[in-house]
Amino acid sequence: MSSLLAQLFPPSTTRNMELSADVLIILTSAAIIYYLTRWHRWKYLWREWLTTVDHKKIGIMYLIAAVTMLFRGGVDALLLRAQLAVPNNHFLGPLHYDEIFTTHGTIMIFFMAMPLIFAMFNIAIPLMIGARDVAFPRLNAISFWLFAFAGFLFNISFVIGGSPNAGWTSYPPLTELAFNPGVGQNYYLMALIVTGIGTTATGINFLVTILRMRAPGMTLMRMPMFAWTTLVTSVLILFAFPPLTVAMVLTLFDRLFGTAFFTIGRGGMPMMYVNLFWLFGHPEVYILVLPSFGIFSEVVATFSRKKLFGYSTMVYSVLAITFLSYGTWVHHFFTMGAGAAVNVFFGLSTILIAIPTGIKIFNWIFTMWNGRIKMTVAMMWALAFIPTFVVGGATGVMLGAVPADYQFHNSYFLIAHFHNVIIGGTVFGLLSGVYYWWPKMTGRLLNERQGKWAFWLFFLGFWVTFMPQYALGFMGMTRRMYTYSHGFGWSSLNLMSTIGAFVMGAGFVVMVYNFVWSQIHGEIDVTGDPWDGRTLEWSTPSPAPEYNFARIPVVTDRDAWWAIKQDHKSNVIQIKPQEIQDIELPKSSAIPFLMGLSFFVFSVGMVFSWWWIAVVGFLGFVVCMLVGTFDYDDHKEVPRQVIQNTESALGRLQG
Amino acid sequence: MFNRGSQRGRRVIAISPNGPTGNGDEVEARFLAPHFESEGFPWLQIFGYIGSLLLTIAALLAVVQHILSPIGLLTVILILAVAQAALQLGIFMHLRESRGSTWHIITLGLGIVIALGLVGMSMWIMTFKSGVS
Repeated sequence: MSSLLAQLFPPSTTRNMELSADVLIILTSAAIIYYLTRWHRWKYLWREWLTTVDHKKIGIMYLIAAVTMLFRGGVDALLLRAQLAVPNNHFLGPLHYDEIFTTHGTIMIFFMAMPLIFAMFNIAIPLMIGARDVAFPRLNAISFWLFAFAGFLFNISFVIGGSPNAGWTSYPPLTELAFNPGVGQNYYLMALIVTGIGTTATGINFLVTILRMRAPGMTLMRMPMFAWTTLVTSVLILFAFPPLTVAMVLTLFDRLFGTAFFTIGRGGMPMMYVNLFWLFGHPEVYILVLPSFGIFSEVVATFSRKKLFGYSTMVYSVLAITFLSYGTWVHHFFTMGAGAAVNVFFGLSTILIAIPTGIKIFNWIFTMWNGRIKMTVAMMWALAFIPTFVVGGATGVMLGAVPADYQFHNSYFLIAHFHNVIIGGTVFGLLSGVYYWWPKMTGRLLNERQGKWAFWLFFLGFWVTFMPQYALGFMGMTRRMYTYSHGFGWSSLNLMSTIGAFVMGAGFVVMVYNFVWSQIHGEIDVTGDPWDGRTLEWSTPSPAPEYNFARIPVVTDRDAWWAIKQDHKSNVIQIKPQEIQDIELPKSSAIPFLMGLSFFVFSVGMVFSWWWIAVVGFLGFVVCMLVGTFDYDDHKEVPRQVIQNTESALGRLQG
Repeated sequence: MFNRGSQRGRRVIAISPNGPTGNGDEVEARFLAPHFESEGFPWLQIFGYIGSLLLTIAALLAVVQHILSPIGLLTVILILAVAQAALQLGIFMHLRESRGSTWHIITLGLGIVIALGLVGMSMWIMTFKSGVS
């Protein structure tokens, strides 16, 4: 019993900070359980959310999860910056610091950015292309629950069993059992394996959805730009995630079953892990940023009241970026010393990517040229993206130059660069998308004044945080140092960076306040088209009914909804009672949730090497697969009377 | 749906003779519509499943038992892997159930180019080992 307790609560989980977290977690869970019980919400939660296969609700769940994880990863970031604020600080110990930067990076990439991207896919894509759901609705729910349970698994590590501490890249030999005993690293491996399965399934799902389910008349070259970037992101996911899963599984085997894939003393090759990780890691960078490029294309065109400049060039540059991004991964480890030929090849391929990306930047600027620009919060995020991403891209080209990279490698210059592109590209883009599609998700508009406060705090905080880090990198400060001495002359820049980080934190708090306030008091979007939009999702009511379109629209042009409005035909959304037909929709199912739960149980068994629990979890998964396979009762008919009543209530019934 | 000719035109491909009705029945172009082969009992799939298990076990045993020299072992597991991939594609990935080969050629070609590129370049990168060890 005491050995079990020692395994569950090693010393790293009984520091004051972790114990206070325990108290907060228990209090929050108790409050949620009390609320659900007091207001009899359990059944509602199960029926409407936990078992749903509706892409719109899955999108909202992804969004909530992503904002929660942004909070967790953000608190981690503030702890790191608090530690570095002054020299010789002992706010966090070295091991504690390692654990926090590991969870910060892993959560921000896998459990914040990825779900936020999938939130945007789910909320916008089927509506944009005139479909009633994704191609495989139940698989979509399975993807979500695998992600959610993997995220849960990863997040409990710091209070039960101990947090992983080898960095978000987790290179061997630091992750091998000899140097990293305890279960923390197992948490990292299992969480990434499980969420990786979900992500791959999402890639397949949206690839098929876009190729197969577009409304009649919507050729590939008439698709909204966001659909294009979703399509290529899905392809990238399909090729990028398998190497990651392989790297994780091999490390897990090394740790649990005594193999030696990455143990050099027994003939293994740790460098192969680095290679596999970045085979995933580099396409991942484009998986993160391409959806944002798509969002900018929609937002900039809508709020400039112009069609996107150079649509076909945009498509070709996206395809070029996709192709090139497969051939650049070595630039993450030039200093491994693979030789001049290898480094030069990958350095050149890296710098080449700047060309299609530059083309896109110019296209956005020309889209705004002579447009009637409306400064909404969504548009401000898009505008903020351009200078920020240009700086991040330029420092990326600097890092891509091999000789210079030997100086920059693993310094704060690198840290500043990748935060510059991931926050400036991915996060700004996704937040732009959140502000843009929020009315479509919830039926209410976000308060613009609060949104602008959040924007300015976050945007200015970002520059104050990361610009000093470029300089710190030049001054020799390396990544992952937990403290530094006064004599290095880094103190004032570090303090400035910490102040910036707290300003960003304030921006996040205002943003969450904005979300909550607007959900209660926000203006209701009665038209379904608050921005005078260009694409089909704005032809539906806000929020769209369960079946999305009472009648699938027919597309005759790019910017389909804009073309319909220009032709004064916007009354096509009014449907005559005799035209309404029954609609077939996927049925809610408990299987996705139970499958996620099975994976969770299996993972707990693997993390702690409790094999019988792993077997139970695996059997649960097999049962879910069998029941799901032979479940032919997976769809329902929505009778035309119900549709007629819904459309009538929405004021979209003719006559 | 898919505009197979000029990508620039405003041509709408007529999917049903009466034109699109917007009721969801024409969302798939004819040449893309799935073509399923239905059978009474999925014997082929069960044999395929057992076959892939056997191929996997054979590869594992060959390596664990060190039945050949390293070069011979690599050759054997490579052959087993290609056989496995062919079996998976043919039986589970519906490669035989199609009306046209266009999409198969595009996707398989892309897959092969990328897979060979990644493997080939990984081998190239890892040749540095001979220089440092």
